[in-house]
Order: sequence, then C-alpha cells, then structure tokens
Amino acid sequence: MTEDTTLTPDEHDSALAAELALGLLEGPEAEAATTRMTEDAGFAQQVRDWQERLAGLAMQLTPVMAPARAKQGIRERLGFGMAPLAEDPTETRPWWRGPIGALAGLVAVAAVAAFLWLPGNAPITPTGAQPDYQAQLQSEAGDLRVAARLDGREMEIDLQDGAAGEGRDLEIWWIKPDGSAPISIGLVPRSGNARMELPADLDPTEGIKIALTDEPAGGSPTGQATGPIVAVADLTRL
Amino acid sequence: MQDARRLELEEMIARIALGDRDSFEALYDATSAKLHAVCLSVLKDRPEAEETLQEVYIKIWQNATRYASNGLSPMTWLITIARNRAIDRLRARSSRPATAPTDAAAVLPSGEPSPEAATIRAQEWEMLDECLAQLADQQAGAVRAVYLEGVTYADLAEREGKPVNTVRSWLRRSLLRLKDCVTR
Repeated sequence: MTEDTTLTPDEHDSALAAELALGLLEGPEAEAATTRMTEDAGFAQQVRDWQERLAGLAMQLTPVMAPARAKQGIRERLGFGMAPLAEDPTETRPWWRGPIGALAGLVAVAAVAAFLWLPGNAPITPTGAQPDYQAQLQSEAGDLRVAARLDGREMEIDLQDGAAGEGRDLEIWWIKPDGSAPISIGLVPRSGNARMELPADLDPTEGIKIALTDEPAGGSPTGQATGPIVAVADLTRL
Repeated sequence: MQDARRLELEEMIARIALGDRDSFEALYDATSAKLHAVCLSVLKDRPEAEETLQEVYIKIWQNATRYASNGLSPMTWLITIARNRAIDRLRARSSRPATAPTDAAAVLPSGEPSPEAATIRAQEWEMLDECLAQLADQQAGAVRAVYLEGVTYADLAEREGKPVNTVRSWLRRSLLRLKDCVTR
C-alpha cells in the first residue's frame, strides 16, 4: 500500500472511468463523472472498456442454476400469461398459475409433471433427440435416497427416502469430469418431485457425476458447495 | 467459438427487442445461471439473488431495444445489468446513501460498432487471471471484492484499517496496473 503518487491526467481519467464502472464514486463526484460521460465520448468509451474488462471477473464465476420458479415469476411479471406457441401445451404452466399457494403449488406441479412424463406423453424439449440419463443417489448410511432423471434437458429430482435436516437443504451439483468447479443445479425438494431445466452450457454425457451436499436452508449462500457431500453418483445413460 | 456465441446472443437480444418471447426464454436458458451467480456473489443470499435475477431479466426485456447502440458485448451488457441491480439491492439493504453504479453506460449510444472491441475483450479476458496474479494478493483481492461483492471504499478502509483516501489511492493504482497488463 503505497502513498498516493500523482497520476498523469490520462491515468486519472482511466481510474475515474474504472471507479464509475465499479460504482465506487459517491455524491457530487459520481454526478460529475456521469455527466461527463454524456458529453465526452472518449471518457464514455473508457467506462465501457472497463465494463468489458471487469466483466471477465464475472465470467469466472461458477454458474448457479436458479430454481424454475424464477423463470415462471418473470413470465408472470411480464404478463406472458400464455405459453409461447413454440412450447408444448402439456407443459406445466397452467398448473403453476392460479390460486395454488406457491410452495404447495410446486409440489403439486411436480406430482402432475411426473404423470405428464409418462412415455408417449412427454413434453417435447428442443433437444428431444437426446437419450435419457439417470443417477441414483444414496447416502452412506442408506437413510437418504434421491433419484435424478434427465429427459432431454429436463431434470426430475425425486426424493424417495429421507430428508434434509432441520433448517437445512440438500443442494444438487453437476460435476464435470474435467475437474472444474461443481455447478449448482438446484435443491432437492422437501418431499416428492421437482423438475428443472439444465442451463444451456451443461450437456449430459457419460462421466458426469451428480452430488448432494448439506447446505443452509435455501442452498449455499455463496454458490459454491459449503457443506459435506451427502451422496454422489454417476450420471448413466438409460 | 467465442465469436459464434457472441453472435448468437446478439441475435437473441435483437429478436427480444422486437418482442420475441421465445428468444427471451432462450436467452434466459443460456445466461441465467451465470447472471444468478453474479447476483449471489454480490448478495450472498439465495432468495434475494433469485428475486434480483427476476428484476434483471425484466430489465433485459425492457431495454433490449437499446442494446444495439451501446457498444458493449452481449455478455458484458447482461453481466453489467445483473451486477448493478444486485449492488443497488445490497446498498439499499444497508440503507447507505445510494451510490448507484451507473446504468447510464449500458444505455448510452457509442456510435461505435463492436466486433474489434469484442476481439480485444476476448484477449483481455484471457489475460485477466494472469494479470491479477501479478498484483499483490491484497490488491487482487480488493479488485475482486469491489467488482464481485460490491465492496465500497468505506468497506475497504474498514477492512484494512486505513483511511479511505489511502485505500482509494492503492485501489486506483491496482486498477491501472491491471489495465496496463491486460492491454499489453
């Protein structure tokens, strides 16, 4: 930590652009820099350059899948009441909506989804040609059993036996064979089934492992596994 | 590969600007896990991150028409919206006076097309790790914390037990060194 040495005017501008991009400026200084950006194209470009540069830090974050209800929440808030035509009408949407309580609704949807999923009635997914995969997860003591099943890009998680501890949740991780950081794909439902869609950059193949970790309620607060691995299994082609 | 992905995302955003819901859903599927990770990194709270993620995609839907003219690569634009939204929420939480990170840059026309910028960006992203490693741990850690966790100068000063001006001075130096390194 060196004492401040004088910056050249160019360095000063670049540092200011960085601070604006980072949201580090306050009060009049923030206002002045924001105004300058509208008047000084070169400075505005420097701010954008910093945004580009720093976004690389975010690109390194391990992706964390959001629960399916987040997508549904967006659809509802934007008033997309009806399913887009490209989607299969047997999709779960109608069951998600309406007066059913949010949590009870989720459980109900999962149960209904399980029925809709019977062969010949399965929703068509964009990558419907993919084979099915499954992972059967079991804790060492055998008191917890969770089945994960992939149909296209839809994953069903079925809690068959056991449960997370009081105030805890079981988080599901996708582990690639290349040794990269596990990717959270959601939480095990408190009971019964849940369905989720795989993020676009995850592709089921042989060699993938699915793991469950014990996490605080709601899942790992950081997006990286914080609790012990409760169960792990290979994703196998059916 | 990188280029193909960028074009694909740009195409999606262009279609979203025309009100195409399918493209909006496709963009969500392709990018939400990354943007969720950004929200989580800043907020460190699952329900809040999920709520913020929804606000982010609503904003993306509403602002897609303005994307074409802003000169940012698609992932940077998306990440910047997510980060700014998450930081707004973080700062509202501590009811500190708002030092809202600028959204203006995300909507301001640049009049400059982006292909070369995208190439430069791709190179800089590759260099980023190496260049951060060249900074002292403390400095690299501060840069990461400011960007990924929304840490302020006041937070840094408290953390380091130094005056705000001192902390500001060395963070600015760190940022300039980082820039020199990645643009070398």
